[in-house]
Amino acid sequence: MAFAIEFFLRRLSQGLLIVLLVAFVIFTLLRVAPGDPIRIILGPMATATAMEETAQKLGLRDPIPVQFGRFVLDVAQGDFGRSFIRGKQGGASGGSQDGAMDMADRAPVMGLIATALPYTLLLAGLGLVFSFLIAVPIGLAAGLNAGRWQQKLGLYVSSLFVSLPNIWVGVVLIYLLSAKSGLLPAIGYRNFAYAIIPAIVVAVEMSPVLIRAIAVSIASNVQEAYFDIGQVRGIGRNRMIYRHVLRNAAVPLLNVFGAQMIGMLLGGLFVVEYIFSFPGIGLLTINAVFQRDFPIIQAVAILASAVLVLINILVDFASTTIDRRLKF
Amino acid sequence: MAAEPLVRVDNLSVTLAGRGGQGGTRPVLSDISFDVAPRSVLGIIGESGSGKTVLSNALVNWVQAPLNIASGHIFYGGRDLLALPETEMAKLRGREIAYIGANPTVALDPTVPVGRQIVEKLMEVEPGIARAAARRRVIETLDAVRIPSAGRRFDEYPFQFSGGMMQRAMIVDALVSNPKLLVADNITQPLDVTVAAQIIRLLRDLQNDFETAVVFISSALGVVSDIADDVLVINAGRIVERQPAGALTRAPEHAYTRALIEKVPRLWTGAQTPAASHAADVVLEVRDVERTYVVPDRTTLFGENRVRAVRGVSFDVRRGESFGLIGESGCGKSTLSRLLSSIEPPDKGAIRVGGQDIAGLRGKPLLEMRRRFQLLLQDPYNAIAAHASIGRTIEEPLRIHGLASGAALKARVRDVMAEVGLPADLYDSLPVGLSAGQRQRVNIARALALEPSLMILDETLSALDQVEQARLLALFETLQQKHGITYLYISHDLAMVRRVCARIGVMYLGRIVELADNAAIFENPRHPYTRALLSSVLTVEPKPFLPETYLLEGEPPDPIHIPQGCSFRSRCPFAFDRCAREDPALVFDGAGAAAACHLADGQLPQAAPLIAAGGHPIPPAN
Ligand code: SF4
Repeated sequence: MAFAIEFFLRRLSQGLLIVLLVAFVIFTLLRVAPGDPIRIILGPMATATAMEETAQKLGLRDPIPVQFGRFVLDVAQGDFGRSFIRGKQGGASGGSQDGAMDMADRAPVMGLIATALPYTLLLAGLGLVFSFLIAVPIGLAAGLNAGRWQQKLGLYVSSLFVSLPNIWVGVVLIYLLSAKSGLLPAIGYRNFAYAIIPAIVVAVEMSPVLIRAIAVSIASNVQEAYFDIGQVRGIGRNRMIYRHVLRNAAVPLLNVFGAQMIGMLLGGLFVVEYIFSFPGIGLLTINAVFQRDFPIIQAVAILASAVLVLINILVDFASTTIDRRLKF
Repeated sequence: MAAEPLVRVDNLSVTLAGRGGQGGTRPVLSDISFDVAPRSVLGIIGESGSGKTVLSNALVNWVQAPLNIASGHIFYGGRDLLALPETEMAKLRGREIAYIGANPTVALDPTVPVGRQIVEKLMEVEPGIARAAARRRVIETLDAVRIPSAGRRFDEYPFQFSGGMMQRAMIVDALVSNPKLLVADNITQPLDVTVAAQIIRLLRDLQNDFETAVVFISSALGVVSDIADDVLVINAGRIVERQPAGALTRAPEHAYTRALIEKVPRLWTGAQTPAASHAADVVLEVRDVERTYVVPDRTTLFGENRVRAVRGVSFDVRRGESFGLIGESGCGKSTLSRLLSSIEPPDKGAIRVGGQDIAGLRGKPLLEMRRRFQLLLQDPYNAIAAHASIGRTIEEPLRIHGLASGAALKARVRDVMAEVGLPADLYDSLPVGLSAGQRQRVNIARALALEPSLMILDETLSALDQVEQARLLALFETLQQKHGITYLYISHDLAMVRRVCARIGVMYLGRIVELADNAAIFENPRHPYTRALLSSVLTVEPKPFLPETYLLEGEPPDPIHIPQGCSFRSRCPFAFDRCAREDPALVFDGAGAAAACHLADGQLPQAAPLIAAGGHPIPPAN
């Protein structure tokens, strides 16, 4: 118990520091990048005085550390600022007025993210479920049968999946499952069925890593002395696999999951949501990038880094709970 | 022996298939036949490579490709184990026939508490038993093998157990289901002598209580003749002799057995010892060196434990001398070797080489010091890169130190290769296929290429068999005479230390408790711990210090909780009240010997007259 408290106190405080650092870098980069945000807010027709007035009002002329401090205080209260472009009612409203603008009718970033998040979570969850459905049986069979056809199958499947670009997989699946046969809907989102094809694309991208990680960690544990000795001690082979090999294999798997898969998942979601016009965080962000809607970009980047840090803390905690030799 | 044998092995032959299934097969065991009587202990002795481990695996019908049972039967309870279907065999394994291997630390799942895994096994082989009852029985058996506070230990993980504790746990695991036959394959090999002696005694007692027949396989004759009723000698896959244990050491019949007995190193009768050299100057001066590690404590918030690995060690090593450091595992030997080879600095104290403190060295002088000071470790496998040729591997240190290049470099490498006995044609080959001994020679050549003045040999020879070990020791001696190299041996192998080290320090819990010349340490040791170490050696010769008087119980306390007063107090058979109050200092007498004990010279028991182990006087070796 003491260990758990100490672990989380230490790791969460480290994590907070990392996220703050990432936030500061992103915040600074976006402000020194070319392109005056006031121009984006007010549109190309705004006068110089109107622009200066808005800039003063938004505090954009203060030194960056001061702006960052203000930003962090706001974020601590759950306020990520407002979109430069998107109106409260939805749709872009940038540049429609002349004269000093009123930020109050722009949509709060937090609200935009909150609306998009459930879609992304659904897609990510379903994608993970699919990739586990593909990878667990193939990886397990490959790991337990080193040197036999199951191992080759695992190798072939994962090499095949790795070599398929996800855009191509997306297009082919849309063509086969949606356009040609009408089995599943594909573009946009109206109900659960809309998530299935995108989730398959996500799964195809993720499963090779998973297949390999499972196969390798299972195979190396089967070679450990305890596996053979356990059977000589009188414990059945299947029980050794289910109770001991899987447990030990979980530690490297968790690490692959935290270090590699979550990053891949985040990246993959952006592309897939864009291909399928799936209204999640990825689509929101990509549109924001095209429109230079900095508040959204920075909020998503900071939240993504926080999610990564948090998941890695949980993964490490799970690892130390399974294998008490590990120290963090 | 009128009773029906429990096991009858009949003409067993095992072969090893060549690579890739072709290339023919090689016999590993040929025509092995023997009986095991119920409730008896059968010892099987053989050198490494004699096929004894394969035999132990065959007894539990666990022979796997590329090994193959070519012919023969193993009858148990009227059935031939080798003909049983795997499902039937699986029912016998662990229940009626138990097995303990040589390496207890890898025998269990590292992520599950030890006790729970034993319960798991018990419930698997005795399906009717309730979990609570199984747990009770496991804790009782853990108690029976004298694991302290068994209830708490039950929930600890394998990595929290020392090798000896783990081997006890494996004995519990084997005996908890009351098997009729226990196959013990080299179970004392990785253990310290003190612990090995305890394990042997324990197994003997338990074997009586549990009425189990034991097949005890080992390469150490001393160990086997100590525990077994009958001993079977096996050489190159064949049985050469079978005799009762006492008779075997007294009157071996087969030439191979005689050679085997001959090879067992002697510590007392006719021991070879090196001469002490007091004249030469001091090369290495170690003064009050201390090292403490801080490790996190999982049970308290932000808690830390201080592991006091080395607690004030001082000694001198003279030029051209061989100095030995001995002690059980965990006594601080390895930490000290790291400090001496400046892999890490001591917290306190000074290590002076040729009068200069190595702690303050940086840059060039440090490199120069490292050149003169070479460390050779136990494991010859990890130290050599697999992808570089042997010549390159030996060149590398010369390049790093910029001592030679081009043709001179090559010539130098060939010279040292010849010196350590590596054939010159190995220069361009990769290290795959080298034996452990040859690998160790590559390491020695690497070190020697730098013309070091001091070599630290940290368990360097422990992984090698006796023949190879003897060859390398002879090599070290020649090198010493030729180049005047000083050696610091760090080892738990008392026989080796007896043979090569002129001066010896005995370490216990991070301190030197006795420091004296070879003869004084082995013939008239003044510290109870030294005597305990000597009493636990399992040899074939009479011992001056008998286990009845000195044998230690348990293991050293962990270096986090060191007892007040004399740190050996918790295990010392002679501790008295002053020991609890006062920490004895290492006091030198006139002859340059020192012991840290409150007892004065005459207060320890007399050394026993030399009587053979097992009570039989042995004939003089000739
Ligand atoms: S000082 Fe006391 S406890 Fe320590 S070794 Fe001597 S007799 Fe034993």
